[in-house]
Amino acid sequence: MLVPFFGLTQEKKKDSITPKIERYGIRFGADISKLARSFYDKNYKGLELVGDYRLTKRHYIAVELGNENKTTEDDYVNFTTKGTYFKAGFDYNSYDNWLDMRNMIFIGMRYGASSFSQTLNSYDIYNTTHYFNENSTVVLGEKYNGLSAQWIEVAFGMKAEVIHNIYVGFSVRFNKLMSNKKPDNFDNLYIPGFNRTYNGNFGVGFNYSVSYFLPLYKKSFKPVKKEEAVKKDKKTN
Amino acid sequence: MKKIFYCLLLLASFSSCEKDDICDAATATTPRIIIEFYSTDATPVLKKVTNLKVTGDGMTDYFLFNDVSKIELPLKTTSDVTKFSLIMNSTDTATQNEDFIEFNYTRNDVFVSRACGFKTLFYLDATTPYSLTDSGLNDGIWIQNSTVITSNIETENETHIKIYY
Repeated sequence: MLVPFFGLTQEKKKDSITPKIERYGIRFGADISKLARSFYDKNYKGLELVGDYRLTKRHYIAVELGNENKTTEDDYVNFTTKGTYFKAGFDYNSYDNWLDMRNMIFIGMRYGASSFSQTLNSYDIYNTTHYFNENSTVVLGEKYNGLSAQWIEVAFGMKAEVIHNIYVGFSVRFNKLMSNKKPDNFDNLYIPGFNRTYNGNFGVGFNYSVSYFLPLYKKSFKPVKKEEAVKKDKKTN
Repeated sequence: MKKIFYCLLLLASFSSCEKDDICDAATATTPRIIIEFYSTDATPVLKKVTNLKVTGDGMTDYFLFNDVSKIELPLKTTSDVTKFSLIMNSTDTATQNEDFIEFNYTRNDVFVSRACGFKTLFYLDATTPYSLTDSGLNDGIWIQNSTVITSNIETENETHIKIYY
C-alpha cells in the first residue's frame, strides 16, 4: 500500500481524508524590539510596522515601514541619524504545518530604501603623537540633509500563531547596499532600516514582531493520495 | 525544526563581526611636518644633525634627533601657529646653539573612517609660512637658509621644508 499524503494510517477509502482549509488574509503588526529599545535606550527612538499578505499556499508579499532616530557615540565620532525606510518583498514558507496549525519558517527577500539625515555632533582628531596634550574633540553640530540609500535583504525567520490570530515572529536579515548617497566629508555609518554599515556594503538586522491576522477568505483543497495520483497519470498517458 | 533554529542562531552571531573598529597603523592620519637638513655647499648634500633637541613652545617634553638628516615634528591641531626651539649640539654646552622656528598655517579637518575619526591637514601661509628667530643668548643663528618645498602638509611621504646649515 502506498503511503498516504499526511503519513497518517488510512483505510482504503477515497473520502476518508478531511479537506485542509487554508485561510488567506492580511497580517499586520509592529516590531516590538524597536519599540522596547525606544524605552530603554536613551539614544534611540524607533518604530517599525510590519505586514504581509498571503498570495498562494506558500508565498506571501511582505512589507516593513519604519522610522528611526538614533544617536551613535563612537570613540572618534558622535552623530545622530534620522529617517524613514520602506522595505517590500516576498516570503516563502518552507514549513509543512501539521493538522490545522498555521506556523511559518520562511526565507524571503526585500528591497529596501531609506531617506535620512546625518548630524555630526562632534568628532575627535586622530593624532599618532600626543605631544601638545591638546583636547582634540571638535564640537560641530553640522547637519547633512537629503541623504538616501537602497539595498537588498535576504531574510530568514519564523512566525508562530501563539493564540488565535496573533502571531509572534522573528527574523534575521542579511543586507547588501545597492546605492548610497553619502554626506560631504563624512559617511553613512548608520542607515535607518539597514542598520550599522561596515566596510564592504554588507549589514545585518533583526526583527521581532507581533502581528494580528485578519482573515479575508478561505481555500480548501483535498490532499490527494499518491495511489490515486499514479492512477490519474496512467489514465492521461 | 531544531536544525533550522540552530542555523538561524549561527547566522545571527555574525552581527557581532566588527572588522572596522580599529584604526590601522598604516592609515594616513594627521601628518607631521617633515624637515630635511642640507649643507650650505654650492650643490647641497644631506647633512645629519648632531643631538638636535626640539622643544615645543611652553612644553617641557622634547624630541632628540641624532645622526639623522630628516626629522618629523607635530603641529598643533587646535591653533594656527606652532613654535619650536631647535638646539643644535644640545649635549655640548660650549657649541650648543638655539634658534626658534614658528609655523603659520590654516587647518582643514577631513573625515578618515569610523575607527580613525578625522585628520587635520595643514596649509602653510603663502606670505609667511614660518619665521626664524635667534635665541637671546648671543649664540648666532645656526640655520643659514631654508625653503618651502611644499606648503600643503597632507602626508608624511614627502619633505615639506629644507633647512641649510
